Amino acid sequence: MSDANLIILLSTISTGLILGSIFALVAVGVTIVYGSIWMPNAANGQFFVLAALLGWTMTVSWGIHPAIAAILVIGVSVPLSYGLEYILVRRFYDVPNRNISYFVLSLGITQILTGIFAATYGRWSDQFQLPPLVSGITFIGPLPVANNRLMVLALALSILAALFALLRYHRYGRAIRAVFQNRDAAALRGVNVKASYSLSFALGNAVIFAGGILFALAYSFDLTVAWTMSITAFAIMIIGGPGSVLGAVIVGMVFGFTQAAVSTVASPTIAAFSYLGAMLLILLFKPSGLFAR
Amino acid sequence: MTHRKSLLAVLATATLASAGIGHAQEKPPVKIGFVTELTGAWSFFGTSCVAGLKMAEKTLNPPGKRKIEFVIADDQTSPAQAVAASRSLDVQDKVLALSGPTSSDTGLAVYGYAEQNKVPFVVPVAAFPQLTKPGTRYTFRLEPDAVGWGYAISKFVEKQKPGGKIAMIYSDYALMRAITAGIKYQAPRSGLKIVADIAFPQGSNDATVQAAQILAATPDFVMVSGAGGFDNTITNQLLDLGIKPEQIIHPFGITTQVMNWGKRSVGSYYGTFFDSNLDSLTPEGKTFVEEFTAQYDRPPSYGENFCYVTANVIREVIDANPEAADDREKFRDAMSALKTKEKTSGIPIEFDKNGARMEYMYFLQMKEVTAKTYKAKQAFYIEWDPEVIPVYTLVK
Repeated sequence: MSDANLIILLSTISTGLILGSIFALVAVGVTIVYGSIWMPNAANGQFFVLAALLGWTMTVSWGIHPAIAAILVIGVSVPLSYGLEYILVRRFYDVPNRNISYFVLSLGITQILTGIFAATYGRWSDQFQLPPLVSGITFIGPLPVANNRLMVLALALSILAALFALLRYHRYGRAIRAVFQNRDAAALRGVNVKASYSLSFALGNAVIFAGGILFALAYSFDLTVAWTMSITAFAIMIIGGPGSVLGAVIVGMVFGFTQAAVSTVASPTIAAFSYLGAMLLILLFKPSGLFAR
Repeated sequence: MTHRKSLLAVLATATLASAGIGHAQEKPPVKIGFVTELTGAWSFFGTSCVAGLKMAEKTLNPPGKRKIEFVIADDQTSPAQAVAASRSLDVQDKVLALSGPTSSDTGLAVYGYAEQNKVPFVVPVAAFPQLTKPGTRYTFRLEPDAVGWGYAISKFVEKQKPGGKIAMIYSDYALMRAITAGIKYQAPRSGLKIVADIAFPQGSNDATVQAAQILAATPDFVMVSGAGGFDNTITNQLLDLGIKPEQIIHPFGITTQVMNWGKRSVGSYYGTFFDSNLDSLTPEGKTFVEEFTAQYDRPPSYGENFCYVTANVIREVIDANPEAADDREKFRDAMSALKTKEKTSGIPIEFDKNGARMEYMYFLQMKEVTAKTYKAKQAFYIEWDPEVIPVYTLVK
């Protein structure tokens, strides 16, 4: 294999890994919220962009180091989520068929945030680029990869691993999983279901924020990425099985690789639609998703 | 008696004063509807345009001249909203003419309204060729059309590297489609070979694989034109993989983008129609650059300049044809007959039968980028007739 072809192959793999891990993060955030409180959060793309914009403001305008900014951004998501949950989300906990109400509510939040972003950040929409976490280049064979991207990949995978550990081994995580599986049984076993709802909403959004800030650290972005990410996260969640964290991770990684591979062998335009086609195809045969319980 | 005399004097003074005021106010301001992108995806360009317009307004209405007033409306980067704003400005504000769009998509929407309703339309910064397609009567475009930019890029590469190889990597927007159509038409005629042609859908965020494909194609030059922040992504990923800055050509460079490309871009080329580094700035152009830089903390680029020039062109037309200030047909005729120069650069302004301008383009090479400014050197300049290539059939 010539160096040129090897570079293309390796770049496809590295892109698949980085994009896939970010897709997985966002989809996991969406699926935690959905699995717990049945909220199909259409505003996930706007939360994602909010994280990126906050990161941009902190690093470019305020001069904060990107690593500290990343931690602050994820931290900001916690009070924000609890605030939203307290003011809006918890009012629907006892509403029958509340997922429809939640969907409409999140569409409203989407519209409001879209308007706010356009009015406040729109004029800089060609300038959203964060300083790198680390500088330098590492050669993987003949392919030069920015150390910053490798760091983003490592962080994304670390967060996913930490999330798995939390959900599997920590009592809060086990409570969330219990509510995922059967909220009535969980309540009978002494789990505070509504506290678990609040925690899930905050945790899910924190993961989406983590995805947003890591994306912004790896790529330039603009406000339109909100819509792309929102659709992608929903598609991953639906294919993986709503409420399945493992499904979101696996399908997220597959999406990343699919996008990279299809854009190599076909074109970026076809790649953008390929996973939506895959979603429709899978839903034909397994409407509940690949990893649904 | 004294009181009566005083009262009469006051009344007489008041009458005279009101007559004087009445004379000054007998002609209402000439209103120009300025529909532009203050929000939405293209707002970085619309707000820059308004900044240029505001600079022009500082000196636009000297005493004794009929006041020109720009009524600014936000089209939200939406063609539908652009039409709605145009209608409102036409019907309610009764503007003399429309202007303002900086996006080809919104520009085409206003174009449709203006031509249909016979409202003169002065396009400051929108480059899609169909804005001045044959049969156009009320629209006048200051910015050279984007198919022509592709022609100019090919000519530039032909000069830099005869028989060279060129790659294209860009976002799939109307503007970029027009630019690449011009390159695809002219490159073979200039003896160039196109070795890669990669378009990204809107909303794309990664170009690593495509940058590798470009590298594998071993081009001499790469035309890079991503939409918004994606332009930085593509540029950085090409540089990461080993494409040299001297190989990169950005078809258009506005100040904010130039600063975004950053120090890594030193050596790369960008096309433009006005830049603070041009050799040919007029004294007014230098003042414009100085005052703009002082106010906005960055030098102006062609977007700001075209909007500055648009205001001054309208002033010039109304000064030379006072009757045109209240009559759209006369204003349209006066615009059509206009022969002037950009006050900032001295470049001629003259419109052909379709409202297109004799076209031109500068190519500058980046020499230095600092936190708030940059230095570039003029590397190439070209002028051409709008229809030197079939611009209106290459892009529909």
